[in-house]
Amino acid sequence: MISLNYRDSRPIYEQIKDGLRKLIVTGAMAPDEKLPSVRALATQLSINPNTIQRAYNELEGEGYIYSVPGKGSFASGNMDADAARRKELLTRVRELVTELRYLGVTDEELLAILKEEDKT
Amino acid sequence: MIEVRDAVKKFDGFAALDGTTLTVPAGSVYGLVGPNGAGKSTLIRHLTGIYRQDSGEVTIGGEQVWENAALKARIAAIPDDWYFFMQSTVRDMMRFYKGFYPSFSMERYEKLKEVFNIDEKRAIRRLSKGMQKQVAFWLALSCMPDYLVLDEPVDGLDPVMRRQVWSLVMGDVAQRGTTVLVSSHNLRELEDVCDHVGIMDHGRVLLERSLAQLQDNMVKLQVVFRDGVNEVPPELPVLHASRVGRIHTLIMRMNAEEATDRLAAYDPLLVDAVPLTLEEIFIYELGGADYAVKDIVL
Repeated sequence: MISLNYRDSRPIYEQIKDGLRKLIVTGAMAPDEKLPSVRALATQLSINPNTIQRAYNELEGEGYIYSVPGKGSFASGNMDADAARRKELLTRVRELVTELRYLGVTDEELLAILKEEDKT
Repeated sequence: MIEVRDAVKKFDGFAALDGTTLTVPAGSVYGLVGPNGAGKSTLIRHLTGIYRQDSGEVTIGGEQVWENAALKARIAAIPDDWYFFMQSTVRDMMRFYKGFYPSFSMERYEKLKEVFNIDEKRAIRRLSKGMQKQVAFWLALSCMPDYLVLDEPVDGLDPVMRRQVWSLVMGDVAQRGTTVLVSSHNLRELEDVCDHVGIMDHGRVLLERSLAQLQDNMVKLQVVFRDGVNEVPPELPVLHASRVGRIHTLIMRMNAEEATDRLAAYDPLLVDAVPLTLEEIFIYELGGADYAVKDIVL
């Protein structure tokens, strides 16, 4: 479900965070669905449980998951858009746009992409 | 909690431990790293009660380790050169372990038999080096220890077995809160399994932090300055700088955000913060301690 890339320069906890976030955002993990327990994930990935706990805590702080004491962690249903994540993604889009412009992609083409996204 | 305070151990006047101080919080996985001959194995032999320190304190859970059988029954260790009786089979060694560890679990032993898939009637000395290591893990984990002390534990294990063994150890940490101290040179692997790291050199612990702290306190930046700025501004606290073409690679002792903010003042064309791997942290931390790869052409 989550795969770790050992050649990735991102720290392990960030890879876990990004992996889980992707599952939640794409809907692969339904709202209120239970996430694997820290222990299960630690044995499955052979990773320190505290590292996984850190990823869970940060995801909870960002609002992607919530935890119920004694029951575990669950995917959040309605996402309160997280400001920090939004900023991060927008920076990435800006970088991409700069590169696309350099390659000669016109604004019309870029706008067309945005419209396409709207329809789906 | 494992605590070592100002431990000194001399062999013929050579101080293998020279005022070592180290703390392993309960329930954590502590990675002990350091160059060859730093004193890691010597320290581990103190933790398992094989050596007695000349001075200082070595305590586990608040108790002295030396000659403390009740405490040692709760510590399982896999030393670098694991000992077994010459003619013994796995089953014989299991009986030997069972005699010393009251918490030894036969149920676990049987379960782990399936995992390791080694015939328990085989003589251990006829097994390969890697299989002997597997037997060591098999028996150590069957002891249900509260403390697990591992010296270069996965040396000689194949990649599948390494993951298998770490998965078992991590399961124990998550489930039973086992405290683990592991020495290794494989920093890539330690990064996955450890939450605390201590760097040792010349019989001392130079630095000990939680992995999260280590990663948040040092950053690697790739920077391209605007025309006219050819040198790294001298007022920046840079630990290490190198340059390829226009791209400067800077190592700074601060978190990524702070570093990016400080560089923003110079209005660079590009700033890219990359987290450091444990291997890089190790190299840069020890670089200050007069230890680096020397450029020698043979």
